[in-house]
Amino acid sequence: MRIWDFILIIDSYLVRKGLVSMLNRIQGIRVLKEFGSGDPFLTHLQSHPVDYIIMSQSVFESSHELFISKPELLEKTILLQSSHKDALTTGLPPHKGQTTIHLMEDKEAIVYKIRNLLDRRKQSDPGSPSMGLSPRETTIVRLVSMGLTNRQIAEKLFLSAHTVMTHRKNISSKLRIKSVSGLTVYAIVNNIITIEEVSSLPAK
Amino acid sequence: MYRVVLENLQLLPLLPRFNLKSGFGEKSVDEVCRAHGVNTDFFLEIANAYLDELYVPSEGLSLFSLGTMVNYIKSTHNYYTDIALPMVEEKIHRLMERSKLSEKEVHLVINFFNDYKKDFMTHISQEEEHILPYVLELERQSSLKKPDPKFIQKLRSYSISEFEQEHDRLEISLEHLSELIIKYLPPFDDLQLCHQVLNDLSILMKDLVDHADMEDKVLIPRVAELERELLNSGSLA
Repeated sequence: MRIWDFILIIDSYLVRKGLVSMLNRIQGIRVLKEFGSGDPFLTHLQSHPVDYIIMSQSVFESSHELFISKPELLEKTILLQSSHKDALTTGLPPHKGQTTIHLMEDKEAIVYKIRNLLDRRKQSDPGSPSMGLSPRETTIVRLVSMGLTNRQIAEKLFLSAHTVMTHRKNISSKLRIKSVSGLTVYAIVNNIITIEEVSSLPAK
Repeated sequence: MYRVVLENLQLLPLLPRFNLKSGFGEKSVDEVCRAHGVNTDFFLEIANAYLDELYVPSEGLSLFSLGTMVNYIKSTHNYYTDIALPMVEEKIHRLMERSKLSEKEVHLVINFFNDYKKDFMTHISQEEEHILPYVLELERQSSLKKPDPKFIQKLRSYSISEFEQEHDRLEISLEHLSELIIKYLPPFDDLQLCHQVLNDLSILMKDLVDHADMEDKVLIPRVAELERELLNSGSLA
């Protein structure tokens, strides 16, 4: 399972701790570090990779320089606002589609937003296995799951058997799955194939 | 000791790996460990790492001999192959027998698990036959005043980091299986059993993650360090 690393930079101790305990209950999230506004988070962010940063409004407003020197962090930042009306008052244009959570929001709303964010990232993340496969490889996984042999796949796709073998090898090393049955289940849970389409012959 | 276990029942699968059995009475952790010839600090490190995902192994862990760690890894492997896998396998088979799944679906699940088990065994025997003996030999050589030049020669062409790159994550396939059951297969009549299977799978997954973490974060860095030291001393000689 992909683990998402979070860093929290929130001035209020209570709010920060509350959020940490909430995030820790969401599967797939790991809170790497938490900072108050006075802590040396800048140096940390300069040198440590992170997937998401949750920042309170006031920290965000005073972090101009950080975002200028590392603009990619802006996309990773989730803003914690203390009220719905809190407008972005920094000179920075709000990042398009930036996720914001509000202090007064209930738990479900916050969990929903964060999950949504992770799901979206998962789908477009080249690091996640299904996306690691090229369209060609995905087709091959599909055909393998349907019970076709390498030779049949080669004929169907007008490829040489050797090329199919190479694809198969690449698929196995990308997914770390070697067996046909493993690939089949992978294909099902990644919606590459439906159970109905799966070969009725027991996979080798 | 009894309070540690009572309050953290997740530790139960850990006990047999240290040959510890319940019935602790009022003995402290240290007393129990000593009585069973277990290094208390090592037990505590492993237990803490096991309970807390964010737990960072203390410096102390680097003081244990690699031999201690190798023993622990081996007994963990035994736990997987002799207890955890057969247990969940038996339940999966029972679940399939009692289900109304089509023959094709049953085949899919059974084959999947069989292949998974095969891969698992290959992984473990690869580690036990090649990696762990190598680790022990490395430790032995580095304790010698004059390490075997042949071994050092071998070191120049092999490093533990190669193993690190090939280190399969065994838990991923189990996650696929759980997902298949929850999301794609028709519902099972025997809900209890189905839940047990899912529970067992999830416990095993977490265990595998922890185990791989311990290998990646503790064992491999230590081995890599020893390799460097030995190579340096070799080049001085």
